[in-house]
Amino acid sequence: MNLLTLQFLSEIILLSVIFLLIMKKNFSAVSFYSLQSLVVVIILLNSFFETKELLMLLVIFIMFIVKVIIAPLFFIRLIKKYALSFSASTYLSTPITLIIITILVFIAHSQRLLPLTSIVANHQILLSLALSSMFLSLFLIVNRKGALSQIIGILSFENSIVVFAVFANLEQSASLQLGIIFDIFIWIMIASIFISMLYKHFGTLNVSSMKKLKD
Amino acid sequence: MLEIIASPISFFILLSLFFVGAIGSLFFYKNNNQANAWSSFFVISGSLVGLVFSIVNILTKNSLLFGLKTSFFSFFTISFHIDLLSSFFVFVISLLALFCSIYGIGYVRHYYKKYNIGVLGFFYNLFIGSLILVVTSSNGILFLIFWEIMSISSYFLVVYDNHDDDNVKAGLLYLVMTYIGTSFIILAFLLLYKYIGSFDFLVIKDNIALIPASIKNIVFVSAFIGFGLKAGIIPLHIWLPVAHPAAPSHVSALMSGIMIKSGIYMMIRLFLDILQPVPFWWGLMVLVVGSISALLGVLYALTEHDIKRLLAYHSIENIGIILLGLGSALTFYSLNLPALALLGLIAALFHTLNHAIFKALLFLSAGSVINEVHTRNMEEYGGLIKYMPQTALFFLIGSVAISALPPFNGFFSEWLTYQALFQGIAQMSFVTQWIFILATGSLVFTGGLALACFVKAFGVTFLARPRSKKVTCAKESALSMRLGMGGLALLTLLFGVFSGYIISIINTVSQSLGIFKNSSSAINISSSQSMSVSNGFSSISGPLIFVLFVVTIFLVVFIFKKIINRKQKECTTNTWDCGTNFTPRAEITATGFSRSIILIFKGLLKPTIQHNIEYYDDQNRYLPKSRTVTLNIGNVYHTYLYQPLHIVINKLSVKAKTIQNGNIDLYISYILVALMLALLVIL
Repeated sequence: MNLLTLQFLSEIILLSVIFLLIMKKNFSAVSFYSLQSLVVVIILLNSFFETKELLMLLVIFIMFIVKVIIAPLFFIRLIKKYALSFSASTYLSTPITLIIITILVFIAHSQRLLPLTSIVANHQILLSLALSSMFLSLFLIVNRKGALSQIIGILSFENSIVVFAVFANLEQSASLQLGIIFDIFIWIMIASIFISMLYKHFGTLNVSSMKKLKD
Repeated sequence: MLEIIASPISFFILLSLFFVGAIGSLFFYKNNNQANAWSSFFVISGSLVGLVFSIVNILTKNSLLFGLKTSFFSFFTISFHIDLLSSFFVFVISLLALFCSIYGIGYVRHYYKKYNIGVLGFFYNLFIGSLILVVTSSNGILFLIFWEIMSISSYFLVVYDNHDDDNVKAGLLYLVMTYIGTSFIILAFLLLYKYIGSFDFLVIKDNIALIPASIKNIVFVSAFIGFGLKAGIIPLHIWLPVAHPAAPSHVSALMSGIMIKSGIYMMIRLFLDILQPVPFWWGLMVLVVGSISALLGVLYALTEHDIKRLLAYHSIENIGIILLGLGSALTFYSLNLPALALLGLIAALFHTLNHAIFKALLFLSAGSVINEVHTRNMEEYGGLIKYMPQTALFFLIGSVAISALPPFNGFFSEWLTYQALFQGIAQMSFVTQWIFILATGSLVFTGGLALACFVKAFGVTFLARPRSKKVTCAKESALSMRLGMGGLALLTLLFGVFSGYIISIINTVSQSLGIFKNSSSAINISSSQSMSVSNGFSSISGPLIFVLFVVTIFLVVFIFKKIINRKQKECTTNTWDCGTNFTPRAEITATGFSRSIILIFKGLLKPTIQHNIEYYDDQNRYLPKSRTVTLNIGNVYHTYLYQPLHIVINKLSVKAKTIQNGNIDLYISYILVALMLALLVIL
């Protein structure tokens, strides 16, 4: 896969995070997360064609099952069960959100972070895009009040880290990646239980309601 | 044969004995007798192997360096370095563990059906094993792991008697203070790692020149606080008088006798071995802290009527005395006087050994008394010599030794400490000379006050009439307990009489340190065991003093029996009692005995007095029913140091709590901001 295609895929990931940030419907958020995960799988598939490591193929397959199929299905089931068509509100209005998105993307592309984004010289633009996705994913978690959006934000953050690691040639061994995917799978299940408990206890997925738990 | 004994194999055998002892005790947790037998057998076997291993290593001047070659992390290696200094401390640990464990066979029986003996055996074995590992590990991280195991196992031993809430509180205070100390130790090690890139003690020692002087000073202060806290120096001692008495008595003996010495070991290792050359002021600081700890430790001991707390305060005093030797050694070496520095170090090491022996003896004797009378309050003792004569003799021997009276071991190590201080007075410039003069003065006061304190402790506990009914039910301790105490009492005498020989061995140990490799000692020991310091500045002979001691006792007894009382008949009759009933209330109490001395030092001790009167009729206050007078001393450390510190930390914590507002989004925004700042600052 040539650099331009990889850049295009990275831009899809970045755009998916931006959409996640301004999206109001939960179904759409889950769809964009699924799309983002699919792009990550494609990028990893490209990595497999370079290394030809068979275990890597297994990792990619499991990643596809967990992130592109199981996780979105889990979330859709939760949305249907608790009738959560619309996400809880955000802290910042859409215009301010867009301004902060611009600032974060600018910082990720700035000269100041050049030592980080130029770990692999010809991947600089790809690494900047992955870094932007990481920052925006974190911002997504911060800005959203809904637990579901936050969980998707964390998963999106994880996707961005994977992409960054691939482009920076910091990939870990396939067995370790297998472990990480298993970890994520368990985490998704725990997060789903957390959402159910939160809804049962507070009648909402708005995490700010948990302030009452403070001693 | 000697090669096998002094090899890493023996070391692993001794460790595995403690390990098997610990694990096996847990398997027998349902049967107290079996758990006790298993634990005691393995700890005694381990101690014996430790004794043989260390003695052979010292006598053959053997140094061992071994460990695992491969490691998962570059900074962490499982490596052990057992040089003569480590072997010396392994010897002290094994010696004490041996006698305390023999004592423990009988002592722990009173815990049967109340507590789980298997658990006690587990932590006891673990504790002694970790102590040995602490003084032999050669990597900072490995050392910290064993240091933690030592601290945690001793914590569980402190709270073993958990039916008493005070013991649980004592354990908590111990744990908190331990972690404060450990954080300072970690800081010291991290600073060394930052500049040298290794936690290995030998690598640090070889590359010490890479560390800037200012950083070395910070390392010194951090290490001195961290290890000083474990050693119990004032004002970091507050855990010691509460934690040591809370533990079972044979554990108290080990904690007071050797655990606090692990701090001293690391001070010697760091300041005299690894961080050399050191600046002049380090030694002076150690001297000043030692003087304060020695003097205040004994003063606080004097105010106590809890027998184990009294002994715990004496540990602080003796740590002060050891620091006087170490401080002298540091000062002398920084002034390029290696022979005198060697004298100071020998004094410190000899007192470390002696204090371990006589303090263990005193704790074990006190434990025997508490076991029978079921209280630690000395005011409820009295007349115990009649019911526990052998324990009384052992306590008396310990008291004489700790009061630095000849011919017992304490006298000789304090004599050496005096010699080191006198040399400082003779050789130093004006200001330093005065520090040495004040340190000597402190040691003089300490010796006198320790004697007064043990006159009180022995007199109130064993002499006169019983002050409570419990005393009249007391019986002599079990055989194993008497064996443990008797062995230590004998060592107290032998290490005094043959102090010349012991000192010559300690001299070899001290000279094995890199800085003393080519130095000659300021102590000369003749074939008749007499020691002389600095070419005849002063001299002493252990055997001669012992002979004089025996002859004096013989003469006194002879003169009284055969000359003065020759024509007098012995008759037993009642004491004249001024016509009143002669009761224990007529006896002087521990509090009354020490009150006059406390008042002399009232500026330091802040004594308090509280009167309470109960009337028959509260409205008509003419007929008092009872009067109580409570004498106490103020807790100056709590009032002036820990209380203000607590207030400041509390205020800061309340302010810090404002960032914890319960909003998850805000917490994650902290992460985002921190990440961005970290990237912007680092890149």
